[in-house]
Amino acid sequence: MNQLNQIAKELLTSQKVKLVIGYGEGTDGRVRPVFVRKSEDASQLIWDDRCRQNLAVYLNKTEIREIGFPIAIVSLPATVRSIVQLIAEHQFQVEDVIPIVQEGANVTTIENKERLEQYAAANPVVFPPFVVEEIENIRNKSVEERFEYWQEELSRCFKCYACRAACPLCYCERCITDVNTPQWVCVPPHAIGTFEWHMNRAMHLAGRCVECGSCTIACPVGIPIGLLTMEATRIAREELGYEPGIKCDVPAALATFRPDDKESFIL
Amino acid sequence: MSRIGVFVCHCGENIAATVDCEKVAKTCAKIPGVVYSVDYKYMCSDPGQNLIREAIKEKKLTGVVVAACSPRMHEPTFRRACAEAGLNPYLCEMANIREQCSWVHPKSKATTQKAIDIISTLVAKVKRNRALFPIQVPVTKTALVIGGGIAGIQAALDIANSGHKVVLVEREPSIGGHMAQLSETFPTLDCSQCILTPRMVEVAQHPNITLYSYSEVESLSGFIGNFTARIRKKAKSIDEKLCTGCGECMNACPIKKNPSEFNMGLGTRPAIYIPFPQAIPNKPVIDRERCTYFRTGKCRFCETKCPAQAIRFDQKDELIDIQVGAVVVATGFNVVGTSFFPEYGYGKYKDVITGLQFERLLSASGPTLGELKRPSDGSTPKKIAFIACAGSRDPAKGIEYCSKICCMYTAKHAMLYKHKVPDGDAYVFYMDIRAGGKGYDEFVRRAIEEDHVNYIRGRVSRIYERNGKLIVCGADTLLGAEPVEIEADMVVLATAGIANQGAEELAQSLHISYDHHQFFAEAHPKLRPVETNTAGIFLAGACQSPKDIPDSVSQASAAASKVSTLFSQKELTREPVVAVINRTAPPVYSTCVGCFMCQSACPFNAIEREEIRTRDGKLIKTVARVNPGLCQGCGTCVALCRSKSIDLQGFSNEQVYAEVTELFA
Amino acid sequence: MENESFEPKIVAFVCNWCTYAGADLTGTSRIKYATNVRIIRFPCTGRIDYNLILKAFERGADGVIVSGCHPNDCHYTSGNFHARRRWIVFRGLLEYMGIDPRRIIFSWVSAAEGAKWADVVNRAVTEVRQLGPAKEFNEMRKSQAFEFRSV
Repeated sequence: MNQLNQIAKELLTSQKVKLVIGYGEGTDGRVRPVFVRKSEDASQLIWDDRCRQNLAVYLNKTEIREIGFPIAIVSLPATVRSIVQLIAEHQFQVEDVIPIVQEGANVTTIENKERLEQYAAANPVVFPPFVVEEIENIRNKSVEERFEYWQEELSRCFKCYACRAACPLCYCERCITDVNTPQWVCVPPHAIGTFEWHMNRAMHLAGRCVECGSCTIACPVGIPIGLLTMEATRIAREELGYEPGIKCDVPAALATFRPDDKESFIL
Repeated sequence: MSRIGVFVCHCGENIAATVDCEKVAKTCAKIPGVVYSVDYKYMCSDPGQNLIREAIKEKKLTGVVVAACSPRMHEPTFRRACAEAGLNPYLCEMANIREQCSWVHPKSKATTQKAIDIISTLVAKVKRNRALFPIQVPVTKTALVIGGGIAGIQAALDIANSGHKVVLVEREPSIGGHMAQLSETFPTLDCSQCILTPRMVEVAQHPNITLYSYSEVESLSGFIGNFTARIRKKAKSIDEKLCTGCGECMNACPIKKNPSEFNMGLGTRPAIYIPFPQAIPNKPVIDRERCTYFRTGKCRFCETKCPAQAIRFDQKDELIDIQVGAVVVATGFNVVGTSFFPEYGYGKYKDVITGLQFERLLSASGPTLGELKRPSDGSTPKKIAFIACAGSRDPAKGIEYCSKICCMYTAKHAMLYKHKVPDGDAYVFYMDIRAGGKGYDEFVRRAIEEDHVNYIRGRVSRIYERNGKLIVCGADTLLGAEPVEIEADMVVLATAGIANQGAEELAQSLHISYDHHQFFAEAHPKLRPVETNTAGIFLAGACQSPKDIPDSVSQASAAASKVSTLFSQKELTREPVVAVINRTAPPVYSTCVGCFMCQSACPFNAIEREEIRTRDGKLIKTVARVNPGLCQGCGTCVALCRSKSIDLQGFSNEQVYAEVTELFA
Repeated sequence: MENESFEPKIVAFVCNWCTYAGADLTGTSRIKYATNVRIIRFPCTGRIDYNLILKAFERGADGVIVSGCHPNDCHYTSGNFHARRRWIVFRGLLEYMGIDPRRIIFSWVSAAEGAKWADVVNRAVTEVRQLGPAKEFNEMRKSQAFEFRSV
């Protein structure tokens, strides 16, 4: 996209940023992330319908941070939401990241907090139809049927943690799975081990998951893993009134409360 | 290696009747890590405790489990016994096999098995207990009292008299608060100023009290024992050291007709003013919004007339930072004005006034010098209607609570009116009479029986003006809701007591909780009425909820005693059941990723940000840090933390995990 | 599923200031309840990690009781509010993944409600007995290569 390359080139030449993270051509017609440091390399950047990964995951990596803020990043709406959520979680400041977004036919940058929040709110998550169908499907099952469904899906999981690696909001340097005193999450990929891992990931993403789908894309054995984290966020949205990824300075869903949070199950 | 001792108590027959204690002791001896397991009739007795002490020394125990009653009963007893024998008291736990086992189940194998399970859970926990030591926090022995009403004055005097320094900050030009505005107080009808002024003078003269009047607390930072308060001393435009309080400036000032705050708008004062004659400090201030010089640059008459040359037009606000160890908040309350009531005239009728305004009319130093005159035409009112519960107990008006003092002061107002105008008629419209204090009910009876005040049980739906009189439309519910109409010369509304102006902002800057009416929240409604949830900050008086003078004074003394307790030791000692964030060697420093969910969740503000920097000042990471002086040990942060970087001493992750998994081993 | 001699194993996670004290009161009042429950004490319901509930089930519990102070009564002001939010999400997720949420009984029991505690326990035992052993977790355990050892 010419506009994109132009913007990237300007940002790098003017030294406004030291790095532009974007999508580039990969092998076999796939796209892969590229990290452009020199303005001549700005032509590597592409942007088409194949670009679905959420690049915000790189913003929290040590190697990237060592290059130094501010960083420009080619952003899908989900990426912008991830950035807003990461700012709300004190991982970096608004001025540290410059999202490059699409607005209609134009490509522009976002350089202040109001525009950032506006863009995030104006571009809510849109699920592809097969996702909507699958969610309906599961909702219509009984508890036993759901158990069977998930046991079937999770039986393929072999704890590669690609879902964790792809998620921008999984940035803990020491994950709960790495803790062995006590061993919260059983390591082996048996039924209990995978159940514990995915329960924990979903709970940790409650009210934080911006529903970008990167985890599902990353899973090598095709488990619809995003459905779990999305369910946790749906509960946070509907029961707790909490929408992630649209405000830069709200505390986390599970670290706040309303005195009148409704529950129907406490005796 | 763990060397745990298990001590099973029979508690006479209390446990032994349903649990086979001998069997329990024998079975527990086989738990890995247990080197000594006995049963005994009364563990809490002296010989019982001796058993534990001896065992610790002889068997070199590293942990003790006493299986007996609830830890809520005897944990301190056994922890002390262990400490006496040289074992850290936090290495002792109690297994509750009485209240939660022997007393609630019949004698059976299942009951004995349950006792064994409970003990094995606690053994698993104790194996992972760490020696903990009480936390010492240094204490600055100066108190800050915010608010100079009767509660603030009482608290300041009590703390100062116990030998500690006090800084008293008052927003108005003078201390005294609402009590200074009252004419006489219930139930004794003694003169309010007469009992208050000596206290005010004591405050001014006390060597341990520093008084900052016309000042506000701008911010408070720090924690218990170590607060830093920033006080803004607003510019009075007077050099206080030179001013003699002679009052010439007030005579000279040409702008005399400003509504007087002290007289609740019923009288006037000049632009340079002392609020009332007995003010402490007895020095004027210039109201810069009304003073001609500050508005137009002309005048300065007061300056020319001042014999001491004490006027300073160029004076600026001063910011003062002080170190204090404790704060007492005594900022008082306010009352709702007449404009709150559409049905009573929206504040348009000059002769419909609030109880506080009526006090000023009654007062000998008030705008009418104690003669009861109608604000509209100065005539003596021959019929006054007093309306109790004006605004209070009314969910439709948003004030669902009772303001507590109005029944009493309404009776007082009616009585004082009758004393001043014996041939006048007083009517009180009431819902209930709340006169629960000492001598209170007798006082109300006096109003009815001796001073012949007419009490009508019913509410007033409307007041309107007709031919110079106020028509009060009420009902008498004791006569079956018969309508009552009074042609009154004056109406006094006992308006609801509400939080003082600026209460919410103050609470936020002090980090104390407040309710939806902006009254400050106490730590526990019954057992901790003068403390807040913020350690080191105490409450006194009506800022917590509307109350009368005896209760305000009691609370103030209670708060002062809490402060004195805090100051009575060199250092503050706290239980070490606090949260700790892990720290390791560089380059990791800590597994905390700085998301600060813990900070958002902590109700006690105990989590701070810590910046870890290189020697040249470059920021490596920002992590959380627990202030052990503030943490209360609830563990909410521990359960929240995604990376498990924070743990609670005494109920650590390893311990609770072992307790749960041990049950099914 | 209906096993006459099946005695459910129930673990209770309770807060020290309210429910634990309430359970003590049940004892002081000598009110009797079922023996199936094992109580574990926490300083506050806010301290209760949902992972502990999972572990309890995985190791063999058939039911779990979680109980604390009534809203607005928490000794630490807001621990129970945070816990409540956590439970709302956790319960929803468990149900989504196919675990019967009726196996976890949540309650607010104050220090004065000794009788209520006995009620909660008895109710939990009856309900879980009807639901039968926690077969979801039984099934999941079968795929392990070894039995859990105590650490």
